[in-house]
Amino acid sequence: MRIHVTINRERKAFDVDPGDKLLDVLRREGYMGVKKGCGTGDCGACAVLFNGRAMNSCLIFAAKADGAEIVTVEGLANGERLHPVQEAFLRSGAVQCGYCTPGMVISTVDLLSRNPDPTEDEIREGLSGNLCRCTGYVKQLDAVKAAARLMKGGDADV
Amino acid sequence: MANLEKYIRPTSLEEAWQALREAGASARPIGGGVDLALFVPREVTTLVDVSALSSECSVRTDGGLDIGAGVTLTELAEYDGAANYLGGILVEVLRKVASPLLRNLATVGGTLASAHPWSDVIPMFIALGAEIELYEGETCATALEDLVADRAAAAGALISRVRLPAPAGRAGAAFEKFIRTGFDVGMLNCACYVAFEDGRCSTVRVALGGTPDMAKRVGDVEALLDGQPLDERTINEAAKRASETVPARDDQRASGEYRRILAAAGVRRCLTRIAAENGGGA
Repeated sequence: MRIHVTINRERKAFDVDPGDKLLDVLRREGYMGVKKGCGTGDCGACAVLFNGRAMNSCLIFAAKADGAEIVTVEGLANGERLHPVQEAFLRSGAVQCGYCTPGMVISTVDLLSRNPDPTEDEIREGLSGNLCRCTGYVKQLDAVKAAARLMKGGDADV
Repeated sequence: MANLEKYIRPTSLEEAWQALREAGASARPIGGGVDLALFVPREVTTLVDVSALSSECSVRTDGGLDIGAGVTLTELAEYDGAANYLGGILVEVLRKVASPLLRNLATVGGTLASAHPWSDVIPMFIALGAEIELYEGETCATALEDLVADRAAAAGALISRVRLPAPAGRAGAAFEKFIRTGFDVGMLNCACYVAFEDGRCSTVRVALGGTPDMAKRVGDVEALLDGQPLDERTINEAAKRASETVPARDDQRASGEYRRILAAAGVRRCLTRIAAENGGGA
């Protein structure tokens, strides 16, 4: 079956099988920023914005995406200019191996779009679907706070 | 290995129901698809996506809430009418379910259709007195507690809407969940609703889930509370009765013995909170 989607503001059409998951289709089509971690909705490495909300693409049937608007981590930057959340993760050193980072960034974009000034508890809750096996989550917390400041036109330094 | 051949997205409940009826055991309805993405039974070749068919919430004129089956858990948690319903109990419970990434995808209808015994949503809805609107060629309704107790009775029917009754003038609800780790499902959960009249409990619903069986009401506890003031002595008796009557047993998450202790703690905490927030109902 054929699905039509908008990915990172580009209209695309893909042939998919009814059982295909969005994650596998995205990676097959070259969106390698979407990571396959657990494949069971536990780790969040495969998070994408699906009609504006962050979701585990490993649990979304590709057929469900017909007509949907999808943003992967590749679609966040504006040309050479990083998205403020990416900028904040970079400056905060919130990356070790980096495998969880695209999912963390996507969850943060969703969180800050609904709640521009989250408390620390709200940040922890907002990122609770994204597992990181390298860090102790401290730098990611810093990064989200920095991103919130940056998006309000403030200073991202930590 | 799944044998999926077709994924269809009907534009009406009638069309969805017909498609499911024609395909019989080889078709399943799909909401968000969280469970089906993990496992599609071998005999299933067709998925019928119903998530876009009833995806709105509304507050009825009587003050009750109508929640479309296709509404995601996040959409319900962010809905103004949910925040205003019984002190925001729905919002509080939903924020404890899984993760935001999953709540953005999972639907209310899918949660009820999957009917996991550890579900937090089901005991909450049971305690709130939820009625489920089903579609099987025509619309009918059943109490959620009956639906989950006998799912075979509603086989072939599509869940279209959850109807929460208007809360009584003086009423409160509370929820407690006991988990081992932040992301695990509960070892046991407890939801209580109490309406007061003249300082005494007039309507009481207490639901225990993850026992580890399907959530259900504990009638003995409700009967004990009925007509009583919600004071410390009554709450302690109710907690004791909950531990005595909860149908708890062992599984990999907790022993039956421990679950009986949790049932008492859950009932005590929920009732204590409801009493505190309602001045003991007086």
